[in-house]
Amino acid sequence: MLRSQQRGVLPGFRLTLGYTLLYLSLIVIIPLAATFVKSSELSWAQFSQTVFSPPALAAYRLSFGASFLAAAVNAIFGFIVAWVLVRYDFFGKQFVDALVDLPFALPTAVAGITLATLYAPNGWLGGWLAPFGIKVSYTQLGIFIALTFIGLPFIVRTVQPVLADLDSELEEAAASLGANRWQAFWRVIFPMLSPALLTGFSLAFARALGEYGSVVFISSNIPMKTQIVPLLIMGELDGFHLARATALAVVMLVISFLLLLAINLLQWWSNRYNATNPA
Amino acid sequence: MSVEVKNVTKKFGNFTALDNVNLKVESGELVALLGPSGSGKTTLLRVVAGLEFPDAGNAQVLFYGEDVTTIPASQRKAGFAFQHYALFRHLNVFENIAFGLRVRPKLKRPGEEKIRARVGELLKLIQLEPLAKRFPSQLSGGQRQRVALARALAVEPKVLLLDEPFGALDAKVRRELRRWLRKLHDEIHITTLFVTHDQEEALEVADRVAILRDGRIEQIGTPEEIYDNPATPFVYDFLGNVNLFSGRVREGTVIIGETEFAVEETAGETDTDAVAFVRPHDIRITREANGQKTFPARILRCNAAGPLANLELERLDGGGNFAAQLSKEEFQQLQPKAGEQVFVELKNVKIFSDDFSI
Amino acid sequence: MVEQPLQRNQPGMIDDAKINAPRRMSEPPFVRRLLIAVALGFIALFLVVPLVSVFAEALRQGLGFYFQTLRDPMTVSAIELTLIAAGISVPLNCLFGVAAAWTIAKFDFPGKNILLTLIDLPFSISPVISGMIYVLIFGAQGWFGPWLIEHNIRIIFAVPGIVLATMFVTFPFVARELIPLMQAQGRTEEEAARVLGANGWQTFWRVTLPNIKWGLLYGVILCNARAMGEFGAVSVVSGRIQGQTNTIPLHVQILYENNNIPGAFAVASLLTLLALVTLALKTWVEYNTTGLRGTAFTPLPLKKEPNRKLA
Repeated sequence: MLRSQQRGVLPGFRLTLGYTLLYLSLIVIIPLAATFVKSSELSWAQFSQTVFSPPALAAYRLSFGASFLAAAVNAIFGFIVAWVLVRYDFFGKQFVDALVDLPFALPTAVAGITLATLYAPNGWLGGWLAPFGIKVSYTQLGIFIALTFIGLPFIVRTVQPVLADLDSELEEAAASLGANRWQAFWRVIFPMLSPALLTGFSLAFARALGEYGSVVFISSNIPMKTQIVPLLIMGELDGFHLARATALAVVMLVISFLLLLAINLLQWWSNRYNATNPA
Repeated sequence: MSVEVKNVTKKFGNFTALDNVNLKVESGELVALLGPSGSGKTTLLRVVAGLEFPDAGNAQVLFYGEDVTTIPASQRKAGFAFQHYALFRHLNVFENIAFGLRVRPKLKRPGEEKIRARVGELLKLIQLEPLAKRFPSQLSGGQRQRVALARALAVEPKVLLLDEPFGALDAKVRRELRRWLRKLHDEIHITTLFVTHDQEEALEVADRVAILRDGRIEQIGTPEEIYDNPATPFVYDFLGNVNLFSGRVREGTVIIGETEFAVEETAGETDTDAVAFVRPHDIRITREANGQKTFPARILRCNAAGPLANLELERLDGGGNFAAQLSKEEFQQLQPKAGEQVFVELKNVKIFSDDFSI
Repeated sequence: MVEQPLQRNQPGMIDDAKINAPRRMSEPPFVRRLLIAVALGFIALFLVVPLVSVFAEALRQGLGFYFQTLRDPMTVSAIELTLIAAGISVPLNCLFGVAAAWTIAKFDFPGKNILLTLIDLPFSISPVISGMIYVLIFGAQGWFGPWLIEHNIRIIFAVPGIVLATMFVTFPFVARELIPLMQAQGRTEEEAARVLGANGWQTFWRVTLPNIKWGLLYGVILCNARAMGEFGAVSVVSGRIQGQTNTIPLHVQILYENNNIPGAFAVASLLTLLALVTLALKTWVEYNTTGLRGTAFTPLPLKKEPNRKLA
């Protein structure tokens, strides 16, 4: 019967769902699926040769290591920035708050050439470090700096709203029960914020793993030394080794999906607290 | 007959919101759909409005005899006031009320002059003329509710449907608006169906009350009918506080503990377990026993704050506790004390045989 | 126009902390000052210094050179291509965002949470891969490669490829802003419009659109910033043919690699200005509303819906 197929009173369900699915399929799903189909054309030997080659293994190590370190540094400083922005008043706070999103808004190529120039031995910052024998640009340290830059907003923006929503009664309760300031922070506030902090960390980490634009300029792109996975894939593409690029891309995609899953689970975990505390 | 609902069933997944419901509303009548949450009352109202469609079957919704079952909400000409008002937050009061007129097809759309006149009329009716330029966020709850009503009335609906019209308001505003609604209805006489979970509200405002439970209409009648003659234990319980005394029925008499008294309605029943329902204000307390009709009890607590005095008593035959209500005068005459032993007589007892659940 | 106090006093905003200040409970002053100093130092080192240096490097050879670089035909053609790519991908993603938000927020259907996850997907994929997937389909060695060559249609190393890659990386932006917004607003206003006789379009134009206009604007601003600034994905599909398939970020790279550092920074300063304008507009929109807080910039997964049950 026609009647039972009606979905309430609002029109456009089939139109909008159809358009959504069509557009999603054309732009996202089919192209992504193509990667997996293409990689299945490779034999296992070809696949493993590419995916477990020494330059690839070195690239994974560097990508994971640098991304992890960058996310960790951001976790610490991003947390402090979020704390200061929510809890304290100081001159220029609004400006700093708006500026935090700069790494999102600034095209990565601009970030890349800027950081490479700044940290070059004759640059504003590199010039200060050169006398101590510290080289940043064209080294692994430079990659770490670039990944820290692009990951900076994630922690701030995930922790900030949770911290702002935190009921000040919780701290007052902790204080009334005899906790000092440090104990109140460590035993009450920090556990409440830790899911958000972890989520921000994972987001920053995931973003850093895939980053290309800001790294390509500051890295010397030397295999085994300063080549992260996206640079390696780009190199294969430039050499028209499409099959090898696809194999590496599949590895990256699987890692991205796993991270996405982890972030979804984290999100679910952090919402658990909110369930008992409706806004 | 202005609204008729026939054989309507509506399921959401495994949940049966409406289970073969039939309802007739006379022209100009004000009918309350009363029930606890989950009883299907809002779903029924939404089915009438065309906001939900009944499950396939021989379900029908009729407006003045015309079958509107498959007609979408936008063409049904039912005025609907939502529980949380659903006022358009980007439009001011005037434009909210005018909305239904402005969206009419070109040929039927009234001119600007007519729209102004109509909205002005309605603003006067809801006594909010000075607030025409305000936005919904600048109004109080009661004002929003009145705007929602005016907006629904602007399109000259065949029926007016109100979903928990006073549900989101505080007690005092609620009472005022309730009276205002009754007065309004007496003036404009539009067939109105409203949903509420507040039995006091339903009994005070409505011409007839339909009590819903688990997607079925349990009883329908005038407020007096359903209050004085509840058809089921559920209705009895839902309409007010009640004491339950379990006992036996035998040829027109009820035996509760050692008490025995005649009840008309049970004449047919022969020797079965039964439960007697008695409202707290139908319990008479005396210091002297009155033969078989009374039984002894001890007063546990007295609370005389407010217009009525509330007593909690314990049956001496071990039958449990029950509540009684006395008027201020009765209370002052009797001057009961906690711990004191008294005799209790039950009036207006309603018997339901034992196979029921509330 | 009357200023609508739209949700302004809802809880959950950062402003609340300020209203509550001075907090009765806080850290000792020296701890506070230390933390503020650390935070500002970190921000200065990582954000302010690079920002300033872009303009310093751009103007190193003087204003004459700066404007000469910007007027260069290659720069102009890069700007044109960037405007074309953004001009196509932003409206299309806008349309998609509105359709997806409508279908997700206003209806119940199975598989909704999977759909939400899929919409988020482009955010978690490396830009290099985002470009590569189109090479796999339309490139010379790709699925349609031979057919395209036969018919003399170029997608990869041509403008269509750049537009496709831009569409992919900016795919979720508008949808992500609108979905939570429309979910929070619910369906009753639309239902009310329908009962009052409005048809589908009238309901959308007169009720839905005015309610989501800020969210839409917000999504468009962020979407546009990414569309104009995308580098990795576009770099894969472009082939970097000067004057033909060069966008602004790619032009920056070419100038930089040709050792024209001041020229690279001059062009980069355009993108930096775009970023600053984006941040300013974003802050302005946030000031006018609440609840909108850069969910596209901070790609937290969209909130999944528990199965809706009607009481």
